[in-house]
Amino acid sequence: MNCEWVRQNVTLYLYGELADDAQHELEQHVARCQTCAAELAEQREFQEQMSALPVEEPTASFLAASRMRLQEALEHEHPQRAWYQRLAFDPTAWLRQVRFSPALAMVIFMVGFGGGLGAMYQSMRHNPGTPQQDNINWQAIGGVTAIEKDPATNEVKVQYDRVAPGTVQGAVSDPKVQDLLLYAAKSNENSGVRLSSVDALAEKTDDPRVRETLTYALRYDSNPGVRLHSLEGLAAYVKDDIRVRNAVLESLLNDSNLGVRSGALHALEPVKADSSVRMALEQLAKDDPSDYMRGESKRLLAAMPTVY
Amino acid sequence: MAAEAIAIALTVGPGIAVAGVAGEAEQAPTVTTWHERGAAEQTQRRMNDAELIREAQRGNQAAFEELVRQYDGPVLRLAYHMTRSEQDAQDIYQEAFLKAYRNIGNFRFECSFYTWIYRIVTNLCLDHLRKRQVRKEDSGVVTDADGETFDMLDQVADVRPGASPEKDLMRRELGSRIAKALEKLTPRERMVFEMKHYQGLKLRTIGEILNTTEETAKNTLFRGTQKLRAALRGVR
Repeated sequence: MNCEWVRQNVTLYLYGELADDAQHELEQHVARCQTCAAELAEQREFQEQMSALPVEEPTASFLAASRMRLQEALEHEHPQRAWYQRLAFDPTAWLRQVRFSPALAMVIFMVGFGGGLGAMYQSMRHNPGTPQQDNINWQAIGGVTAIEKDPATNEVKVQYDRVAPGTVQGAVSDPKVQDLLLYAAKSNENSGVRLSSVDALAEKTDDPRVRETLTYALRYDSNPGVRLHSLEGLAAYVKDDIRVRNAVLESLLNDSNLGVRSGALHALEPVKADSSVRMALEQLAKDDPSDYMRGESKRLLAAMPTVY
Repeated sequence: MAAEAIAIALTVGPGIAVAGVAGEAEQAPTVTTWHERGAAEQTQRRMNDAELIREAQRGNQAAFEELVRQYDGPVLRLAYHMTRSEQDAQDIYQEAFLKAYRNIGNFRFECSFYTWIYRIVTNLCLDHLRKRQVRKEDSGVVTDADGETFDMLDQVADVRPGASPEKDLMRRELGSRIAKALEKLTPRERMVFEMKHYQGLKLRTIGEILNTTEETAKNTLFRGTQKLRAALRGVR
């Protein structure tokens, strides 16, 4: 062991990275050699000096804001699977997809239901007395799907789907009424019907199923009016239901309609001290394209005490 | 072994090897954690990690988020200390975990998840340093998440009892000199010094993260330290 070796390894020694025998030898050498003792002292002083630039743990709100931003981005990401995983059919993944796509699940359900309703009607000419023939409810026929003629017997087979319009009346809390409203709010093609369902359901937001449906409408409905009305129904729950709060936050940041975003901003006012809300407000106050959103966010931020 | 060969060839971006390098599998993977843990606890954690990773590989986003929560504190701390900007640190954090999510299917358990995620983060930090060297940014002034600039020296205020304003001022000046001296290192020297001195990682782990040997990491640390000592000589 010589002085050059000590000079090269004194850093490792102080970081505890030297092997035990090398560490022992270095200590022996430094005890005898003044130059190397000075080198060791200088290196020790240097390392203490470097700590003047401290390493700080990220604050809870900084970490929370980073996680929120990541979570948002992950929603739109799909992990690449290795090639061998792509080849295999994974039924659990498929089921998960169905679970996450309520609309798709509803379509599958409707196809099954419709298939069950699709009835077979056989016109039997040689038996005109069949009661079926007289009992056809013409309003209930949704459409004829197939006609087959049997040349041997000259009988005709008509296959048709039956649609039976129905009416249910009752309070919003009536389970049957509620089920229909929940269904209409999610899957009706007519936005007027969706809007009325959302309005009716807004009376019953104490039911988690109703809140789930309104949250769904707020996130995914294509009509801004429906989204806005869902938001109004949900506003009372931003404090107590974290999923509602997250959905409203998402609307605040991402909704394409300024009216919905401004509604979301005001709905979140009671929970503005929440770190995720606060970070969202800071972000908006900084770089939102809308003057109004920037101004309102600044106003809300200014009205709250600084949190460290 | 065709699957392994393909996985090894995959990369997630410029210079980022996702699945590890050939020969790495021969080394026993090292897990260095911020807080010291017992061996049993480490084994337990790796088992939990393995389950979470497999779930994430099947597309379970919640499992991936659980993995994120286990590693994201140290990742954000490293990125923030390296970039000294909340905005840049958050960008690195975001990009690192997105890359990890996109490529989790290619993770082959040849190294620990810890090494894998650090490899992604350090590559992003190195890219950031290289860009910053090109831009030759002012080292003292940084930007926080609100877009407001403040002096980095505010970060080094001494809050210990008995600290006088004079001492505090001196400490800030020293902090500024250190920040400037660190800017003079090459990105790789800066990275190794950061991981050893400030984050307390073992040189063996650092070598693994940087896809190099422990010996090379030692030499890089030595060069960086010599440069820093020369730059800070005479400063108290």
